[in-house]
Amino acid sequence: MQFMYAWFPTGSDAPELRYVLHPGRGQTPHIWRCRSGAESPPSLAPAAPLLSWYERETTDLCGVAFRDQPVPDPLVLLPGAAAERPPLMPGPLPHLSYTPVPLPMPDLAGTTREDVQLLPFGPVRADVLESTQLAFYYIGEAILHYQPRLFFKHRGMEKRFEGLSPALGTVLAERVSGVGSVAHALAYCHALEAASRCEVPSRATWLRVLLAELERLYNHLHYLGYLCHTTTLKVGEAQGKYLEELAKQVNCQISGSRLLRGLVVPGGVRREPTLLTLAEDLVRIEHELRRYADQLAATSSHLDRLITTGVLDRQLAFDQGATGPVERASGIDRDSRRDQPYGAYDELPLSVAVRDGCDAHARQQVRVEEITHSIALIRAVLDGLPEGSLRADCRPPPGGEGLGWAETPRGTAYYAVHLDTAGRLARVKIKSPSFSNWRVFPYTVHGTNMMDYAINEASFGLTVAGCDR
Amino acid sequence: MPELLIAAFWLWAAGLLFALARMTGVARWLIVLGVTSGLWSAFGALPAGGGWLNLPVALADQVVRLHYSPEALWLMGFGLVPAALAAALCTPIQRARPAWLVGAALSLLGALGIYGVQDAYSFLIAWELMSLGGAVMILSESTSLEAGRRTLYMLALLEVGAVSILLALLLLAQHDGGAVAFDGFALGAHTLSTSARIVIGVLALFGFGAKLGLLPFYEWFPGAYGNGSGATGAILSGVVLNAAFFALSRTLVDWLGSGSGLSTLGIIVTTIGTLTSILAALYAFQQDDWRRLLAFSSAENAAIAVTAIGASILFRAGGENALAGLAWTVAVLHLSGHALAKGGMFVGADGVYSAGGTYRLAQRGWLRRANWVFGLGTLFAAMSLSAMPPQIGFVTEWFTFQTLFQGFHLATLGGRLTLALAGAGLALTAAIAFATFIKAFGIGLLGDGHRPQAARIGSGYASAALLLGLAVLAAAVGMPLWLHGLEGANVTQFGANAARAMTTGWLLVPLTDTFAFISPTLLVIVMPLIALLPLLLLLNGRRHAVRRARVWYGGLQEDPERSATTSLTFSNAMRTFYSFIYRPTADTAREHRAVAYFISKLQFEHDVADVFGPALFDPIRKAVWRLAGRLRALQSGDLNFYLGLIGALLIVILALTLR
Amino acid sequence: MAMKVIPLWTLYGLARGKATTRWCGEDAEPGQAGYLGMPRFDQAKCQQGCRECVDTCLPGAITFCPDASKQRLTVDYGRCVVCQLCVEACPTGALTSSTDWAFGSRRREDLVWTRAAASTDGMTLKREIRRVFGRSLHIRHVDAGSCNGCESELQALNNPYYNLHRFGVFFTPSPRFADLLLVTGPVTYAMRGPLLEAYEAMPDPRFVMAAGTCAVSGGTNGGGYACDNGLEELLPVDVFLPGCPPNPPAIIHALLMLLQRSPQRVQGGQIGPADEHPEDDYA
Repeated sequence: MQFMYAWFPTGSDAPELRYVLHPGRGQTPHIWRCRSGAESPPSLAPAAPLLSWYERETTDLCGVAFRDQPVPDPLVLLPGAAAERPPLMPGPLPHLSYTPVPLPMPDLAGTTREDVQLLPFGPVRADVLESTQLAFYYIGEAILHYQPRLFFKHRGMEKRFEGLSPALGTVLAERVSGVGSVAHALAYCHALEAASRCEVPSRATWLRVLLAELERLYNHLHYLGYLCHTTTLKVGEAQGKYLEELAKQVNCQISGSRLLRGLVVPGGVRREPTLLTLAEDLVRIEHELRRYADQLAATSSHLDRLITTGVLDRQLAFDQGATGPVERASGIDRDSRRDQPYGAYDELPLSVAVRDGCDAHARQQVRVEEITHSIALIRAVLDGLPEGSLRADCRPPPGGEGLGWAETPRGTAYYAVHLDTAGRLARVKIKSPSFSNWRVFPYTVHGTNMMDYAINEASFGLTVAGCDR
Repeated sequence: MPELLIAAFWLWAAGLLFALARMTGVARWLIVLGVTSGLWSAFGALPAGGGWLNLPVALADQVVRLHYSPEALWLMGFGLVPAALAAALCTPIQRARPAWLVGAALSLLGALGIYGVQDAYSFLIAWELMSLGGAVMILSESTSLEAGRRTLYMLALLEVGAVSILLALLLLAQHDGGAVAFDGFALGAHTLSTSARIVIGVLALFGFGAKLGLLPFYEWFPGAYGNGSGATGAILSGVVLNAAFFALSRTLVDWLGSGSGLSTLGIIVTTIGTLTSILAALYAFQQDDWRRLLAFSSAENAAIAVTAIGASILFRAGGENALAGLAWTVAVLHLSGHALAKGGMFVGADGVYSAGGTYRLAQRGWLRRANWVFGLGTLFAAMSLSAMPPQIGFVTEWFTFQTLFQGFHLATLGGRLTLALAGAGLALTAAIAFATFIKAFGIGLLGDGHRPQAARIGSGYASAALLLGLAVLAAAVGMPLWLHGLEGANVTQFGANAARAMTTGWLLVPLTDTFAFISPTLLVIVMPLIALLPLLLLLNGRRHAVRRARVWYGGLQEDPERSATTSLTFSNAMRTFYSFIYRPTADTAREHRAVAYFISKLQFEHDVADVFGPALFDPIRKAVWRLAGRLRALQSGDLNFYLGLIGALLIVILALTLR
Repeated sequence: MAMKVIPLWTLYGLARGKATTRWCGEDAEPGQAGYLGMPRFDQAKCQQGCRECVDTCLPGAITFCPDASKQRLTVDYGRCVVCQLCVEACPTGALTSSTDWAFGSRRREDLVWTRAAASTDGMTLKREIRRVFGRSLHIRHVDAGSCNGCESELQALNNPYYNLHRFGVFFTPSPRFADLLLVTGPVTYAMRGPLLEAYEAMPDPRFVMAAGTCAVSGGTNGGGYACDNGLEELLPVDVFLPGCPPNPPAIIHALLMLLQRSPQRVQGGQIGPADEHPEDDYA
């Protein structure tokens, strides 16, 4: 099971539920369709726990209630927020009223009820961080229970797509999760290309691989610097951030945007990237990186803080749908670039990094290895870049629909796109990897201690923007 | 004026009778009057000490004679100050009052005896009376089965201690040619062998330690205290604790204080004192009940005084009589100051209980719900107990450290090392005690997390807390004057006048001002001057308009109900760090809906493990139970069994007589 | 078994040398090669009746002037997300790509394209800031619903390359000791309260900077059922800095501009010549 969503077929007020499954390596996704009748559909969360959040989101945004949902609280709209009508239902924009209410937390029982302190941080947290509230049941150093309260940043992005022309949607997709601009744009374009069945020129698919891997590169370098920040390895932090900066400058040189925006477009890429000095720059980054990674792997003060921190066992990772480096560090060998290949990945030498340490250290190892794989992929693209056109005509038919996906630096992003009769976007469902990984993350925090929390959070490499949309 | 002590005796005896007749009001004021006359006579007779008094009570046809030394009067006087207020306020539990007054009167009568009697028989009777009084007070206040069990357990342990004291006194009497009067004990003990001295010393340490809460007894302490009220605590950790300490000090310093084997005895006493203080402080920090926290803290402070006694013995062994006198004086000072400050905290705890109905340490905004003098009094008391200047606790703890630091005067490595380690141990204790009273005052009184509708703290408690708080300050500020009161004691015991050498003008010095000095008196003058600067800044700030913003809470409205620091969150980090001592337990049960991922309810239990309970007391208790189970056959009520028993007895008697 | 060398991070760091650039505040700022900034607009080349660029502009930065009788374009850089689609769409070259990034502005109207350069009165506002803060500044950042792109660039300010600390500018954990509220994102319904709470918690004098196009005008992500359109109706903004995201030099320039250590360079939607900076004292 990957995810589920609801959409309103043209001219209908009755939503249709879609469940998306990826059965296995090399197979196309299965899509289950379900029209809800008079009776509300049953919750599948007890059988597939990862569906819990999707069902709650569907309740909030599409007004579909699920029978026997284990956690009947609102999710995407904060408690205390009320929309006149479900926001994703076709029609005029609803007004949203909001009166903040205290954070719902599990009940406490027992004679020592008074000994537990509720310790909230945020939504405005120290340092330059994304807004989210973290609530702990705290007992002095130790964490009894942890609950992040996300969706302070819910911007209604899925609604923003509605009514746009498919081409303009790319600009929006790039701005769903800023540090995943390429992958989100790719997943969106893949969905449109699937809807229109257009053939993307091979030069464009190769260039897209190059862009996607450059995105992975700067994200993973940022990740290393930030992880060092949480283990207070100051020089390591500076070096990681410096390498990230170099990678971003390379991005800027190639695409004109430090976040690699503005190149991916349905049917191909918009213009020829500037690749003149890329090979040279890669050598420089790789040289610095090798020494840096070796040092990190040999620094016991750093490793001591990572090993056995934030343990995510395989079963939990699978049940809750962890994705990307997080699941691969828990021994699950999944990567949509290889398993459900798109673009030029099946023509290129792709290795998948897997570790079974299940802890913050394993997650670091997976990312370090992925950096070297990404550099190798970029090299392979530079060496074998085919000639040809950059862009094919991609006009999805009116009423069409498509499903696309791409492996972001944080895991698999899915876009499901439905078009209306005028060929404009009618419904765009975004399944971002952070939505999955934020759901998994709290289970690795219960019963641990505060000193490890920041390290654990950094080791997951989460973004709030992608999750909240 | 020592004759007034006889008046106190009669007043307490009368109070006891009226209390037995359930005439609570009369009994209460008779007892208070007795305490006042005791106070008056105790401080009035200093520094000379009292003459001989005859108690109009005959024990085995012998008139009980009393003699009060200056240190006895001093310790009793300081102990009686909180006792006066505790008796006046009485226990906050209405139905317990008659029985509680009986217990209080018994305790006071027993303590009066312990400070004054000069023979072993009377002493033991006084000791038993005092123990009984404490047990009656606690039992009167809490009648649950568990409370009763714990109190009887306390009594049982005190009896074990009493047996130990009896043995020590018998051994001393034996060396004094069989006389039970105390006046010859010191001379007789001078010729004791090294091993005999150590055996008697350890017996005394064990016996009196049961009451002082020394290793391993500090563990039962809070179990029993935790069922009583603050008023009980004020009496038990004031006049009673001081009495037990006085008795221990008399045995170790007066009687055993010269001759061979002193250094070994000194090392044992110092070690026991230091270890107790660390452990008691560690456990005090983890308590979330006012009474248990304060009880552990009493054991800790008694242990600090015992450490100083150990130092005194070591100095005496090394021939440093002046330093020995200093160490002993410091010990006496420490417990006298402790009695005042602890009394203030116990009164505060009773104030909290009478208003809120619980002794639990939790943020309830009590300072806001009391007259401001309540805050002032308890603040001074808490400052003193956490050794903050200029309070008395700071003075005595400073003196303790200055004494231990002078261990370099000793010739033997063992002595030096012991005092150095004791200094380190007490430093740890002081740090933990500091944190403990930050917690007690901060969470228990100052913190304003929860705001249920609750009553205000009564003005009686506020006034009592203020009086004790001011006494704490006055004791420190006037120390150069008060020290004259102990001059008499010093000369007779050590041949050196330490109390006089501890002051130079308004400075307090550890015998010499070249080593170190402090002056709480001057500090009290200087501190307000230092405070002028922030006050001026504050005044200056009033020129600008003030815009008040809410507490920054990450962007949301504060939720003080749920997010106040709790007693556990304050102390859990230490629990983790010292887990090898605490061996903490924490159990979390999670209830869920459908599958385990959807957690709906959490149940959390936590505790710390005793050190000696499982290893020492439990096996002994089990053995006693087993033995009792076997002996139960004796009470089986089976006529044949009794007949058989009588028959066997007859045969034995016949065999003995017909031999 | 290979010998394990204990890493000496301090030595390693020293050996890497100094990475920080010399700040010059120009478009040719090192490390920004290839940057595509706000497209330049040349009204003279604009073709009557053509609406290619208007149709491709998602955030509505290019619109037809509503009141004018003849069709004329309004170009509002406060709404531009630098997607460059208009440049590709324009048949006449009236819109061309540029490297312009120094779009920090004290007045919102300076971000709208006009033919004549605007007057300079916007530049003398808040004269006393220099007296109050000296040359230093403490920033509380609030993410009011950004896409994390602006945060990515804000975090980059503290990397060794830009090293914001050298300017005496710091990010603070609490608004209690912040001078500047730096806001990113279009302000979601849920972040509106926390944002105002943060502003309320700051001591006077306090300043507000809208960083990124979302915070300036809502950009592509503003509006809808869950968002406001930037800060303008919520807080008194002292510095507007459009960009999607603004690159680190643009943020540094805007911060120094607030401190009167650097002049405002955008007027009437155009970047003025870079050499007019009489009061510049670059660190």
